[in-house]
Amino acid sequence: MSAQLLTLVLVVIVALGFDFTNGFHDTGNSMATTIATGALKPKTAVALAAVLNLVGAFLSVAVALTVTNAVVSIQGSDGAPDPALTADHGSALLLIILAGLVGGIVWNLTTWLFGLPSSSSHALFGGLIGATIAGIGWGGVHWTGDGTKLDGVVGKVILPAFASPVIAAVVSMVGTWLIFRVTRALGEGLNNGGFRWGQIGTGSLMALAHGTNDAQKTMGVITLSLIAYGSWTDTSSIPLWVKVSCAVAIALGTYLGGWRIIRTMGKGITEIEARQGTAAQGSAAAVILASSQLGFALSTTHVATGSILGSGLGKPGARVRWAVAGRMAVAWFITLPMAALVGAATWEIGDAVNGGLVGALVMVAILVAVSCFMYARSRRNPITAENVNDDWEGPSAVLEPSETVAA
Amino acid sequence: MLSLFLQDIWKVLLYSLVLGAGLPVLYAVGVRASAFGTAGTDGAETVASDASSAVRRRRALGRTMAGLCFLVVLGGIAVGLAAIVASGHGEQLSFEHGYPTFVPKS
Repeated sequence: MSAQLLTLVLVVIVALGFDFTNGFHDTGNSMATTIATGALKPKTAVALAAVLNLVGAFLSVAVALTVTNAVVSIQGSDGAPDPALTADHGSALLLIILAGLVGGIVWNLTTWLFGLPSSSSHALFGGLIGATIAGIGWGGVHWTGDGTKLDGVVGKVILPAFASPVIAAVVSMVGTWLIFRVTRALGEGLNNGGFRWGQIGTGSLMALAHGTNDAQKTMGVITLSLIAYGSWTDTSSIPLWVKVSCAVAIALGTYLGGWRIIRTMGKGITEIEARQGTAAQGSAAAVILASSQLGFALSTTHVATGSILGSGLGKPGARVRWAVAGRMAVAWFITLPMAALVGAATWEIGDAVNGGLVGALVMVAILVAVSCFMYARSRRNPITAENVNDDWEGPSAVLEPSETVAA
Repeated sequence: MLSLFLQDIWKVLLYSLVLGAGLPVLYAVGVRASAFGTAGTDGAETVASDASSAVRRRRALGRTMAGLCFLVVLGGIAVGLAAIVASGHGEQLSFEHGYPTFVPKS
């Protein structure tokens, strides 16, 4: 096996690793409220979300290979890699992608450790931007597009990040308030029973949409690497094994359940009951689908958390924990630059050891070391299916991830 | 760029309000209606077995209303599913005929 082929294999493995973190980082988007209200048992909920993510990933028949074009220019508009980077079996391109993926994964794991729902797409884009700046220079970043349509970092990442949580919160707040007006005469048993299916249905829709959207990104990145290496030439389709492995990776990640993040979303932002869960998920599903129909790329995470916040604002007498919401907002704004920083640093380190296979191995070694550290750290205050729904405040408040980590 | 963004983002808000708040509220109306004629305030279980015909009529009306509401909500979910399937196939929904059809993504 040649050095270049080994590099490609490393890129594919790390890309699937990113897909896996993408899965567990986002389980909460579709299932946090369903778990918090007890509409489904935690394990049942993540199993349902995993199956729907798998189905959703296989629904991705037309996969765009141009996923990186939104933020960087390492490939042409037809999806083919930039010829300047494809010499020597795409070695230069492979290292940029690898460093970008490392940046995305490291930031996903960091936010997971702190129990913060942040956008996996922003982490991936951030990592790629950082690696591109380090590898090609500032000119390699696609900041704004040509002005005729929303494009680039500003149009596809920054502006939507400001708008999406606000829109989702408004819709969910209106929905929650009206639902409470309509059903105030009903007893608690009737409301919880009646809205159980509302939650399951809307949560399922979110999980399916997630599988269709997010698995595609990794499929596109892996196929781009294959083309750069030269083992795949078709820019209008992707190899079947890529689709299958990405679908399985995101589904397995989802099934693992990012319990730390689910806990923050379901219990931390506000106390949720079934009616709010239905309003929040319904709002999130509608905002995601309406925006993609109208050509906006909104982050599922921002929309889902905004909706949960809105359901706390809309319920008469409910309390929103603004400290938790504020910490989340900070995480959102620093996700892209932080992932970029890690991606750039990773590329520089790989380059400093002469790039190539050695560089790739060093990058992967860094990733493995950081991941092991994060995992070990998370074992100090494990959050699992058993304690995910414990009270946020009071005796079990020690479970709150950020407090123990800071200590 | 910003004007381009603002030009369309309010549409997202409008559609989302109609579908994302409207349908869940309709679902709530269905849940409420299904409790017509029952002692709704403390749960569905406490229904008198010898209910008068007026109560029975109210219950039938409630069930019909609830059925209609749930049907519309299911229709909304079906459109949502269609939008997801379309996006997976590189297409999008078009409502130019009043009902959704698949067209290539613009």
